[in-house]
Amino acid sequence: MSSDTITARRPGALLQRRRAEAAGWLFVSPAVLLFLVFVAGPFVFAIALAFLEWDLLTPPEFVGLANFEQLFTDPELPQVLWNTFVFAFASIVTHLVLGLLLALAVNNLISRSIGYFARVAIFFPFLISWAAVSLLWKYVLDPTFGYVGQYAAMLGIELPNFLADPAWALPSIIVIDLWHTVGFTFIIMLAGLQTVPSELVEAARTDGATGRQIFWNVTLPLMSPTLFFATIITFIGAFQIFDPIQIITKGGPQGSTTTIIMYLYEKGFQAFDMGYAAAVALLVFVIIMGVTLLQFIGRRRWVHES
Amino acid sequence: MHKRMKGLAKAAAVIAAAALLMTGCTAGGGGGGGGAEGSPDSGDLSFVYMGDADQQKAFNALFAEFNKEYPDIKLKAVGIPSGNWATFSTTVATRLAGGQKIDIIQVATEGQRLFASKGILTDLAPYIEQDQEVVDDYWADLSPNLVKFNEEYASGPDGETVFIPGGFNTMAMYLNKSVFEKAGVPIPEDGNWTWDEFVAAGKQIKEKTGAYLTGAGSGYFVDVMPWLTTNSASTFNQDWSEPTYNTPEAVESAEFARSLVEMGLAPKPGGQFDGNTAFKQGKLATLNGGRWPVLGVRDMDMVDQTVVVNWPTNTQNGSPVGWDAWNITKNSENKQAAWTFIKFLMSKEAGEYFATIGGTIVPARESVANSEAFTGNAPEGTVRLSEAMGWATPIPSIDQGAEAQKVIEEAWGTIVAGQGEAQPTLDAAQDKLESLVSE
Repeated sequence: MSSDTITARRPGALLQRRRAEAAGWLFVSPAVLLFLVFVAGPFVFAIALAFLEWDLLTPPEFVGLANFEQLFTDPELPQVLWNTFVFAFASIVTHLVLGLLLALAVNNLISRSIGYFARVAIFFPFLISWAAVSLLWKYVLDPTFGYVGQYAAMLGIELPNFLADPAWALPSIIVIDLWHTVGFTFIIMLAGLQTVPSELVEAARTDGATGRQIFWNVTLPLMSPTLFFATIITFIGAFQIFDPIQIITKGGPQGSTTTIIMYLYEKGFQAFDMGYAAAVALLVFVIIMGVTLLQFIGRRRWVHES
Repeated sequence: MHKRMKGLAKAAAVIAAAALLMTGCTAGGGGGGGGAEGSPDSGDLSFVYMGDADQQKAFNALFAEFNKEYPDIKLKAVGIPSGNWATFSTTVATRLAGGQKIDIIQVATEGQRLFASKGILTDLAPYIEQDQEVVDDYWADLSPNLVKFNEEYASGPDGETVFIPGGFNTMAMYLNKSVFEKAGVPIPEDGNWTWDEFVAAGKQIKEKTGAYLTGAGSGYFVDVMPWLTTNSASTFNQDWSEPTYNTPEAVESAEFARSLVEMGLAPKPGGQFDGNTAFKQGKLATLNGGRWPVLGVRDMDMVDQTVVVNWPTNTQNGSPVGWDAWNITKNSENKQAAWTFIKFLMSKEAGEYFATIGGTIVPARESVANSEAFTGNAPEGTVRLSEAMGWATPIPSIDQGAEAQKVIEEAWGTIVAGQGEAQPTLDAAQDKLESLVSE
């Protein structure tokens, strides 16, 4: 091919390449637009907001780092962070353990139809809105009319006032959250279990490994990427818990269920302190990013990369 | 490194630009002045009010009446089903901050001082002057207390009139006649009874019918304030400058509310108690409320089976009162049309119509509150709701209203649920309220 031919073809090729590029941009533009409007835009806005004092009704004022300084002197924040970490930690442990156990149980079911029923039954609560779930549990745990209390009374057991007792409110929310969302973890675990090559399990069995040995030495290591994914997803979701707390306890009793997002909402939309609320939002971002980074760093030690 | 610095510089520039943009922006109704007078008979109007689906139905019928009279005013009414006034105020503020144009906001006592203090509402003096006769007629028909409270608690920063008061709500008790009859407990004839008589009635009802006497909630307006005001207490002093939530009287009130649960006269708090259903089934002897329970009573077909009486007293008759009020925002582009709409809301015809179709407030005009429009198809003794204005205390609502409400309700809830002694719990709440006031 002579250099003249290349020169003659170049404008056409360039046009074609530009058209292809434009088509590519057009294809991704809805996603890019949504990202800019709902993620990048609000993120930049939140950073800017954190440097201002703004009550929504009067013009904002630039206050420098005052809102960030307040993060270190706010007497309520440590308790709020403690509640959130307790909830997140409990959520990860309970979801992973129960999700995995349920997945193992369903995976080992001999009857296929019972297996399908179990999958639907376990996953179903996850499809119900948080508002409905919260109201349902408020009825269930009502100390006078709730059936948990009534059945316990029939057995002569006196239960605590779960949602009004500061010692029991957060554990109750943890259990409610587990009931509602463990189906999602279960599905992830089940999918992970089904990626474990059956020939490896068979080989281990042929070598005389017991069921427990197969689980600890074959299944679990091969499931580790799934467990890693579930850990990250559960932590991020748990750290942002809001709906059930707002509906069931409103952060009470005595602040025992106020989590960081609940606190952020209170500061922004009840105290009209949007600047400080933005600073809290950035703190949430930093914590979630930090913990996720730590998890990624730690994955080398326990996640089996095949 | 150089590239990274460039990236950081760009990011900083974006953030600085956003900050500058934001410091330049003002809330929708905010800033100073602006807006336009427009025509009194035409134009677009945006009106925001609090109302759930049932209340919106009644409001929409009222707005249709308005449009019959003023077909060229296009009224866009937005009902916000926020459940409480603190949340409503926040929602409206958020909408204003988002740049939404709102001409008239219906604000209740809980948000009036906050909105008035922000300088976003028009001084209504020129409009009042322009229709002095109409306003005088309205003012003359209001309870003197309502006029006084509106001036005392809802004026602008320089004492200007920024709100026209509308309907109000006080607190009373709706008694289930058949439960009282079954238990052989007489219903207080003049509508008055004491805490002791209330407890005695409750014990007899419990013994004879098994029904609960009352609910045990911690709602600021519906639970906390009635027990406080009937014992000469309140959450704040008269000008709301100092909290008074841990006075001996307040402590006594909270202990009394707790004792109702301890005696088994009220179900334990901490779950979901459906008062209306229990009332209908004869498992609850009283419903607490202002005008709003009347919708439920009608739906349950229990109007003839219900009597409204005053809240039981320890030292004096008492009730909180909260009232709706209308204003015109400073940036309204149709202030004259907005005033036309407010005049319509002040009219006797509108008041009667709204009361008839199921408005959940006591009409501001006494002539309407005492008329068949309000008392018809309503339980016997309904007029006591408007009489309660005579001894009512405006619901204390500081600028940090939502935060204060949370503190008040949480402390009360702790005591009623038996999770804390009254005195130390209210002392702790008092400290928090003091710090809110001093902010």
